[in-house]
Amino acid sequence: MPGLGASFGRGAATNTQQDFINSDCILIMGSNMAEAHPVGFRWPMKAKERGATLIHVDPRYSRTSAHCDLFVGIRTGSDIAFLGGLINYVLTHERWFKEYVLAYTNASVLIEQGYKDTEDLDGLFSGFNRESRSYDASEGHWGYEGSPGDRPDDAEETREAAGRGGQGIHGYGLMGGAISHGQPRSEMTAAPAGEPPRDPTLKHPRCVMQILRRHFARYTPETVARVCGCSAEEFTRVAELLCENSGRDRTSMIVYAVGWTQHTTGVQMIRAASILQLLLGNIGRPGGGIMAMRGHSSIQGSSDVPTLYDLLPGYLPQPAADPGHDTLDGYIEHEGLPTGYWVHFRKFVVSLLKAYYGEAAQPENDFRYDWLPRIDGDYSQLLTFERMSRGEMTGYLVLGQNPAGGGPNAGLHRAGLRQLDWLVVVDWFPTETATFWKNDPDAPTPDQIKTEVFLIPAASSPEKEGTLTNTQRLLQWHSKALDPPDDCRSDAWFVYNLGKRLRALYSGSTDPKDQPLLNLTWDYDHKSPQRLPDGTLSRIEGEPDIDRILREINGRKLDEIDPRTGRPRLLSGFSELKDDGSTDSGCWLYGGVYPEPERNRAADRKVNPGQGIQPDWGFAWPDNRRIMYNRASADPEGRPWSDRKKLIWWDEAQQRWVGHDEPDFEPEKPPGYRPAPDAEGMEAIAGDEPFIMKPDGVAWLFAPGAIKDGPLPAHYEPVESPVGNRLYPDVAHSPTVRLLRGPLNPLADTPTPEFPVVAFTFRLTEHYLSGPMSRFNGWLNELQPEMFVELSPELAEERGIEHGGWLTVRSPRGRIEARAMVTRRIRPLLVEGRTVHQIGLPFHWGYAGASVGGNANDLTSVLADPNVSMHEAKTFTCQVEPGRLAGPVARPTVPPTAWPDTRPIPETPTASQPEGKFVRSEPPQ
Amino acid sequence: MTTRELEVPATAPPSGPVATILGPFLPVDRPEPRTPTGFYTDTTICIGCKACEVACKQWNQLPSDGMHWSGDSYDNTESLSATSWRHVKFIEQFASAGTQGPSRWLMMSDVCKHCTAAPCQHACPTGAIIYNEFSNVYIQPDICNGCAYCIAACPFGVITRSNLDGHAHKCTLCYDRQRDGLVPACAKACPTASIQFGPIDELRDRARRRVEELKSRGTSSAYLYGDAPTENYSNLHSFYLLVDRPSTYGLPESPFNPWLRMRGDYLRSLFGGLAGIVVLLIVWTLRMP
Amino acid sequence: MPNPVELPSPMNAAGYATRRVTKPPNWHELVAFDMLFNNMTTGLFLVAAVGDLMSRPAFAPLTRLAYPMALLFLTIDLACLVLDLGHRFRFHHMLRVFKPGSPMSLGTWSLTAYSIPLGLLATIEILERVGIGGVPTWLRTVLIVSGIPFAMGSAMYKGVLFSTTSQPGWKDARWLGGYLTNSAIAIGCAELLAIADVDGQGPVLSIRTSLLALLAINLGFLVALRAELRPVFRTLKGGPRLDQMLILGAVVGVLVPAMLILVSETVPAIAVAILDGIAIALVLAGNFLVRRSIVMLPHHENDDGVVGRWDGGS
Repeated sequence: MPGLGASFGRGAATNTQQDFINSDCILIMGSNMAEAHPVGFRWPMKAKERGATLIHVDPRYSRTSAHCDLFVGIRTGSDIAFLGGLINYVLTHERWFKEYVLAYTNASVLIEQGYKDTEDLDGLFSGFNRESRSYDASEGHWGYEGSPGDRPDDAEETREAAGRGGQGIHGYGLMGGAISHGQPRSEMTAAPAGEPPRDPTLKHPRCVMQILRRHFARYTPETVARVCGCSAEEFTRVAELLCENSGRDRTSMIVYAVGWTQHTTGVQMIRAASILQLLLGNIGRPGGGIMAMRGHSSIQGSSDVPTLYDLLPGYLPQPAADPGHDTLDGYIEHEGLPTGYWVHFRKFVVSLLKAYYGEAAQPENDFRYDWLPRIDGDYSQLLTFERMSRGEMTGYLVLGQNPAGGGPNAGLHRAGLRQLDWLVVVDWFPTETATFWKNDPDAPTPDQIKTEVFLIPAASSPEKEGTLTNTQRLLQWHSKALDPPDDCRSDAWFVYNLGKRLRALYSGSTDPKDQPLLNLTWDYDHKSPQRLPDGTLSRIEGEPDIDRILREINGRKLDEIDPRTGRPRLLSGFSELKDDGSTDSGCWLYGGVYPEPERNRAADRKVNPGQGIQPDWGFAWPDNRRIMYNRASADPEGRPWSDRKKLIWWDEAQQRWVGHDEPDFEPEKPPGYRPAPDAEGMEAIAGDEPFIMKPDGVAWLFAPGAIKDGPLPAHYEPVESPVGNRLYPDVAHSPTVRLLRGPLNPLADTPTPEFPVVAFTFRLTEHYLSGPMSRFNGWLNELQPEMFVELSPELAEERGIEHGGWLTVRSPRGRIEARAMVTRRIRPLLVEGRTVHQIGLPFHWGYAGASVGGNANDLTSVLADPNVSMHEAKTFTCQVEPGRLAGPVARPTVPPTAWPDTRPIPETPTASQPEGKFVRSEPPQ
Repeated sequence: MTTRELEVPATAPPSGPVATILGPFLPVDRPEPRTPTGFYTDTTICIGCKACEVACKQWNQLPSDGMHWSGDSYDNTESLSATSWRHVKFIEQFASAGTQGPSRWLMMSDVCKHCTAAPCQHACPTGAIIYNEFSNVYIQPDICNGCAYCIAACPFGVITRSNLDGHAHKCTLCYDRQRDGLVPACAKACPTASIQFGPIDELRDRARRRVEELKSRGTSSAYLYGDAPTENYSNLHSFYLLVDRPSTYGLPESPFNPWLRMRGDYLRSLFGGLAGIVVLLIVWTLRMP
Repeated sequence: MPNPVELPSPMNAAGYATRRVTKPPNWHELVAFDMLFNNMTTGLFLVAAVGDLMSRPAFAPLTRLAYPMALLFLTIDLACLVLDLGHRFRFHHMLRVFKPGSPMSLGTWSLTAYSIPLGLLATIEILERVGIGGVPTWLRTVLIVSGIPFAMGSAMYKGVLFSTTSQPGWKDARWLGGYLTNSAIAIGCAELLAIADVDGQGPVLSIRTSLLALLAINLGFLVALRAELRPVFRTLKGGPRLDQMLILGAVVGVLVPAMLILVSETVPAIAVAILDGIAIALVLAGNFLVRRSIVMLPHHENDDGVVGRWDGGS
């Protein structure tokens, strides 16, 4: 997400899946969309039917590749080399969209004098601190020339803040341009006197375009071929197809998923794709953009209204235990921006605090900003489990997750769980996490495990209501069809009632530390008993009213009573938010989802056949805009770039932006609008600057901050790789990655003959994630009943492995056995002049369920990239040997029954028997 | 199971031993014919997700067939049967390393062909197999007595006998859903519209246009299987768009309706009997004491 | 778990072409017995009826046993049919419809229709044996004449039922019906010979001669049948074994009995009966072997699995 956020302003997919049909070329890379998102893959297939070209660049020939016009096999983790090659191709062949790039990106902006590129420093950017293995963007002079950061000797206190707020805390906002030092982010990009200096001729050696050209010059087709293992011809064909299908009249789309994000360089892969799409002029336009396919249902929603430790709802950074964040004003000064949409930062924060603390939040007490918890370290999942494995935690609550099966280096996760005193698992089935104490074949016997485990039965999705926010920021409401069975309850019920009981325990307390809990808005009871669709009353007591929660998220005008309901009037959108405490909103971004009583727009289900944009199906944030930055679909004067690709345009007569989508722009700001030099907020955004979340209104080819591992993407090898870094021989892997090496997490971070085979994990359509929902289901188990490993016939022959036989895969972290799927869909690659074998492992199995087997995540490692603490499960090195493992093997923990039941198929209703008498045997014709 | 209730009519049919014995003999009103419907399966857009298989099993409450890893690409269903009415096939066609050749992974969701003149229906001695009002081939499970003749008759290997109830089962083309105006479960679940359901004439037109379109884009091998009758076989109410030989997909290259030869076989059979009787007559006439 | 052997490899570009398309029906030994007892009852009735009509006095001692025995074999045959069903209590559903286009429907109705005159004739014979007579000759004749077409139909349908399928071998066996119906007469003749030998009455010599002639013709049908099945025997994995079984059936069921009957011309009377007995038993055993070979055809996997010719699609 920071990859997209840093480039465009918002960390979310730019377009919608339905918009695939408007695309002329779709590059799928780092995604196995047909297998992992089969329902969404309908739209690329429709685009193909309409004549679009589909390209798949991936380590494995998958069900996605089968439907693409072109498949290019590359080595896992070499994506930046490939994308860098594409960028270089576009630049050297002058195939970039000149008007677009000049007007809508920071290509012409001059960067500070002291900035040094990887070209100058042999693979590192300026500002690298070898001790802390981190960058300081201001020391590295990544900023725009003349910006406040452009001071040769920075203020001492700022440096000090950098030390405290540096590695470990990334709570400074991921979206509008997070900073990697303690300086207020407002000072990073805004030149003191209005516009930053630019060179519209793009000749200045320090302008972004020239830096870009120099940076990517070494990514030639030949280099790409040597690093990625594809042929230079294949690469050039991809480049040509993208160039041919981009421009005024045509658009190309890039699709990625966890095949990019789950790398130590994942954020930079997305940055590289962003740069490529900006150069080709594909952002903000129909059939263009970058589609981030999420790895899980409502993952987008869980970052919007976050389950992340370092964010508050709506991408407001969680305050840090840092002097700069001590007061509300300080926090806003650090995290808000004076220009662009983030100028409304105070409104968002105050409205959120009003939603949290209601009456207790008043202007005179800073709306109880002081009650918000401060973060003082990295509490991301991986680091938490690392701490847990060292015995530093006592209890843990797991809802809808299976770390013991699906966590990278799952063995470390299980070791962590064994150190706990108590564990609560809320799930449908006894998963790996719930049964680690008795079913893990590698674990000590249950009497040696001290953890007390509580398995709470959860309701399934048809048994509860709520919204899911999907890949394209689309909120879709789902109704409850029936009550959950027995003691199963929705996650919302669990959390709501847990909160109620905690509040009851603390009731009457005057201790200041208990006040946030006691004053929290926690009143979501149903006003009248909940009814099921068949009209009967729900049997569940204490279920919170999700509709009320959605209304709270939408926001209310507290000083105005709606005569229809007698309650505060609902906000029609986030533009109505105020910073004086007269509005509340649980998540400003979702403003407008519930604009009026009885009007839940997430439940809208109207389809306009044949269109890419479906404005009446669900509700997309922000403000139901389906294609973000769509101001860029028109030229600087406000006319569509071409008739074929028109989306919104400036209507002179109406003096507003009109078209097929909600404008992601001030609807009445004319193209010719120019801000006054001292303009603030949205007024500082000119009429031809489409990226309104950016302080300078344009997209960032060069990210002067925001990203912790460099302003431009550079190819680094995965931490575990059989080859060195050809592009920057001195820097093997990402210089800022945190290795988290330990006895439970050994790494082969230098090429070693012990682990010569490259492995990656992948997903099958038939199973879901680590299998907690699918491996207990007979209908799914029969479709993919066993763990297998895909390998090439060449590797199989080399190792004496037979198709269908057993093999063992060993990595520094563990070893598993699996059946051998010898297939030509996996091919050995020629990398750096030698053969590199890759194997693919589905990561769906574990030791719990009706179908059990080797867990690919017992082999993967725990690492943390500097931006989002992401691991690198998509690539690691291993050894492959024939035969089975010695020692205990997992046995099914539930009998593999012919679920759902074995009763005979029902008899035909009498009414279905047209034939009761003598018949002739001829067909009725 | 709640879904099971959907299949039971609002008024329960009479039960008891007498009704069980006599029920199948009672005359029942024959529904008015409706527009003939069918499936058109475009294998070029099948992504092999098997949603059709799961949707079919879920709707029809068919049991799981157990866990058997076949090693045959991603096809662990292996064949159509009384408990698997949809079967997604996978064919990996890749040239060996270092050689040039095709590289493609074909996928196809197979199902009962719902032949216009169905051998299984011809074969059925109990009248359990009928053409219903949608001109689909339907096995009435309360009539079928499991004689297995339909299994022998089907040239596509669609039907088998269930070990659970001893009856023959196959795709019903979701007769129950069609009667309620719903699309069959598999077609509903298919994310890419590889499985299309509708009036058979419309489907045939659509499919023929699609073949033309594919050919104009360079897929010269595209053709329809079963959209039109051949010399030896009727057209199918479930037909396919294929890009390789039918046998590659496990379909007979030229299906033959065995009933075309029944008359001759009866004559030869009669001849065999008469020959014997004539021998008796001659010998006994000559050598009668 | 040991490594499985011969899993289909995903690297087979011919896909499913190497697999059998059709599914074998659930028909095994029981059906081979059904085929045999069908022929035993219909053949015995037909041979006895022909004799009865030709020369009532000569055959009267034989029909007294022949009709009840035919009824017994019919009962056994029907038991085989019922036991072979997936749902045995639904055999009567066969009589729910009359579908002449379905050999099984036609056969069931034929068997049912055949059972009535046969049942009455058998009853009459038994009653006469216990001394209750008095059935007018014309009624007997009517029953016999009405039974013949249904017995013939019952014998005829079985082979057509098998050849009117899509199973490998069966679908190519144009002469299966001819062979089965013909061998019904031969079997019937053998059975009548047995009755004659046991009873010591009747035109034993004529029957023995006719059996010889019938076996000779039957061999002709069997040769024609095997010629049709040979390509399938070659392509099936277990084909050669089935072919051997069929040939063994021909030797045991046709050639050896024929030779025994030829030899019996030259031996003493008491030995004749023994030789006859052996010959008749061999006829039944051999016929069972042939039937079993045919019934088991679809249960054997294809060797190369080529399904048919392809004309390039439409």
